[in-house]
Amino acid sequence: MPSAIPSPARRPTRHNSLTAWAGLLPLLFFAAAFQFVPIFTVLQSSLITPDGLTLEYYRNAFSPSIIESFVNSIRLSATTALLGVVLGPIVALAILSTPHKLVRNALTALADVTTNFGGAPLAFAFIITLGSTGVITLILAAVGINLYPQFRIYSISGLTIAYLYFQLPLMILLIIPSLLGLKKQLWEAAINLGANTRQYWTHVALPILAPALLSSFLLLFANSFGAYATAWTLTGPDVNLVTVQIASLIRGEVQLQPEIADALAVVSLLIMSLCVGGYLWLGAKARRGRV
Amino acid sequence: MKMAAFWRTLVITLFLAFMILPVLATLGFSIATRWDRSILPEGLTLEWWQVVVERRAFLLTLRNSFIISLATAASLTLLVTPSTYWAHLHVPGSKVVFEIMSVFAFGVPGVVLALSLIRFYSNIPIPLINTPNILVAASMVLCFPFMYRPVANALESIDARVLSEAAQSLGANWWTTLIRVIVPNIMPGILGGCLLVFSTVFSEFTLTNLLVGSRFKTFPLYLVEFTRFDGRQASALALISFVVAWIASLLIIWIAGKSGKPTENLVGGR
Repeated sequence: MPSAIPSPARRPTRHNSLTAWAGLLPLLFFAAAFQFVPIFTVLQSSLITPDGLTLEYYRNAFSPSIIESFVNSIRLSATTALLGVVLGPIVALAILSTPHKLVRNALTALADVTTNFGGAPLAFAFIITLGSTGVITLILAAVGINLYPQFRIYSISGLTIAYLYFQLPLMILLIIPSLLGLKKQLWEAAINLGANTRQYWTHVALPILAPALLSSFLLLFANSFGAYATAWTLTGPDVNLVTVQIASLIRGEVQLQPEIADALAVVSLLIMSLCVGGYLWLGAKARRGRV
Repeated sequence: MKMAAFWRTLVITLFLAFMILPVLATLGFSIATRWDRSILPEGLTLEWWQVVVERRAFLLTLRNSFIISLATAASLTLLVTPSTYWAHLHVPGSKVVFEIMSVFAFGVPGVVLALSLIRFYSNIPIPLINTPNILVAASMVLCFPFMYRPVANALESIDARVLSEAAQSLGANWWTTLIRVIVPNIMPGILGGCLLVFSTVFSEFTLTNLLVGSRFKTFPLYLVEFTRFDGRQASALALISFVVAWIASLLIIWIAGKSGKPTENLVGGR
């Protein structure tokens, strides 16, 4: 960070720090008005009843259907994050070992582009591809593999496949720097000491990559847990997820106290904070370890 | 540690198939007379495209999406560029504020952000709720890191302090320095940020649906409406979304390549 290094060219007449912070007032005002004050309102209203501080709204919020939505969201996020963490490095390794620079760059660019995809168009593309009369469904049926009725794209397993479309490229982008950081000398040293490929991976490479893999898992988990647009377009209210529940409370489809929505929002924020906090902590640890 | 050629080819082929087939299928479906009972389309036609683009709502929702995306990109540029430059020169300790705002953008799910804004602004006598303005504000929250990261990286790659002191010793004031000296030097960062913001907001569904809904219908809302009753026309709309996202992303990669900086990998709203 060049900004943190005291520069000899720095003029003696520096702004005193209060004036300096005042220059950031527009930014601080924006953060307060649209981020922190509204979120704080939600937290406050989920905890305070006319009778005072209480967890009553949380007790009322956790109906069987809400508990199911948390189970579904956590299962979906864990599955897609795990698939991403397992498959991503394999694809990343294949990309990195491609001899042609142009192909390597094109594939990285593809991951870069597709990780920002999601939402309605993606969900619809999967309906066309893997729906009951989808292109792949028809091709597979022609060779004797019938996906339906055991599999439905409008289900949680369908969502898993659709989410993988943005989770896999994200994992590839997250892990490429760590894979590049694996020094060639480590591989040579391991082989010279008599290790085979499998031993190199289990005893040398994976332990080095472990913090990066774990922190990526947390980021992918959060990425999936907060998602709503893809799930809503693909499955509507059929798959019971936390975000779908909160959205239907906002739209007023379920007549309930708004404080119930606040309580659900706070619980999902806690889960998100654990993931993102863990991601940042492990990331910082991994960076320190590399130096 | 290299992968054997056979495995490499297999893995890359499968990856490409997974990433590209859904897009190709969407394209095929939008130009097929019928493609729901045979392996290949029964015939080709441009009828669905014609029907789709001739609707008044098509142009209207496309226009609305352009307005929101451009407004968000412009407002974020105005908010982030001067603040980041100011912080870079005078308040190095404020970096944590920018980082917290970035983490907030990713860590707070769209539905929770929408809920908090609705809950807070419905009790305040400012006419923000249910207007496109609240959508622009929420989109700015969502896209903050997409603007901040490229701008901050660009600022760190130039010698902003020396440039500023040179400009000021020649008599330029702070704003002149920012607009005539700093901004031209960090233009690739600003442009890259704007494009990423634009493409994210252009395909944004969650915040739009919950904050304004049918009062200000954007392209993704229109698309979702169509998926419920006409697949072929919806596939034409979905393809348009894909093309906009691809063009924006390729421009970002191109700009980043020209300025010799690696692209940022960031997470968009879904």
